[in-house]
Amino acid sequence: MTTHGTIVLIAVGLTLLVWILDLVRRDRLYVGYGIILLVAIIGSLLLLVVPPLLGWMTRLVGALFPASALTLLALCFIVFMLVYILAQVTVVSNRLALLVQELAIRQAEESPRPAPGTHEPQPLEGRNGVDS
Amino acid sequence: MTEPTLRVLVAIPAYNEAGSIRTVVERVRASLPDFDLLVVNDGSRDATGQILTQLGVVTTTHLCNLGYGRAIQTALTYAQRCDYDVLITLDADGQHAPEQIKTLYTENLRGGWDVLIGSRYVESHDYSQSPLGRRIGMRIFSWLVRLVGRRHIYDTTSGLKIIRRSVFEPLTRWHFIDFHAEAIVYLLRLGYLVGEYPITVAERRHGQSMYSLLSHVTYPLKTLLILLIGIVEAELTRRSRR
Repeated sequence: MTTHGTIVLIAVGLTLLVWILDLVRRDRLYVGYGIILLVAIIGSLLLLVVPPLLGWMTRLVGALFPASALTLLALCFIVFMLVYILAQVTVVSNRLALLVQELAIRQAEESPRPAPGTHEPQPLEGRNGVDS
Repeated sequence: MTEPTLRVLVAIPAYNEAGSIRTVVERVRASLPDFDLLVVNDGSRDATGQILTQLGVVTTTHLCNLGYGRAIQTALTYAQRCDYDVLITLDADGQHAPEQIKTLYTENLRGGWDVLIGSRYVESHDYSQSPLGRRIGMRIFSWLVRLVGRRHIYDTTSGLKIIRRSVFEPLTRWHFIDFHAEAIVYLLRLGYLVGEYPITVAERRHGQSMYSLLSHVTYPLKTLLILLIGIVEAELTRRSRR
């Protein structure tokens, strides 16, 4: 990589670092996600400023050129992040669904008791032997 | 033949069923006066909620649409918490005749089934009335249930089920898509008794099916994946019980 290219990438990396730290500070990004991104950015910067490290990484992943090794690593990171984010979305979605269900059930439990003889479900409170 | 000691809840999951929900509720009330009734309004955007309020039915209302599986899960949780012995689920589109439920329920008591499914195909084994894609899907899932559950269930997608208290906990512990083949296999692998009893089903007159064009592709794939993972999950549950 040319010196110019290295400087540009370092500048981009540092900008991202500052942005991520600011997002964490303002509670706009969960600290756990911030750590993952910071580790990835610092790792990339190290590969850029320490050429022997990039050479070693290229041999490790079996690539012919350093650029190919970096592309492969970047793709792996993106896929990892995609799976991780989808898993987090699922967790949040499940929590939301549970909340909606709980609210619905409590609403039904607290609804007025139907007139005798209608055989409708009754609120838990007041039912023999059952505590809410 | 109804055992007076058993507390029975009829649950109807409903999503945008304003055209049919009134009739279904009235028919359930008329034909099953001994049973309690609960409607799970799954975030309907039409007049379903207002109609249910007018009818004075006890309703669990999801603030947003969570899907059929979650609606059934809400009914199961409600039944579990309110100490019901039996939960009967039926569709809100009016396809199931509530008048047939008493017979199904009696058969459930007689046979000691943990889950008894109201089946369109158990007698005739004839899927020809269904569209081709659905027919293929039902045959495949029926065959899969037989293969991994060692029991032939002809109608894996029926919404009319008699569910005993014994399976409330396993059915709420794990996640299912629509409580179809994946739930049947899971219960069979855990050693519960799942059976079928013949029913007749009417044509849908109001509303739309919950299955969109896209879901005809995604539904079998999702069900297949959960079915396979369910086998592993059931095995792990069995081992943890030992």
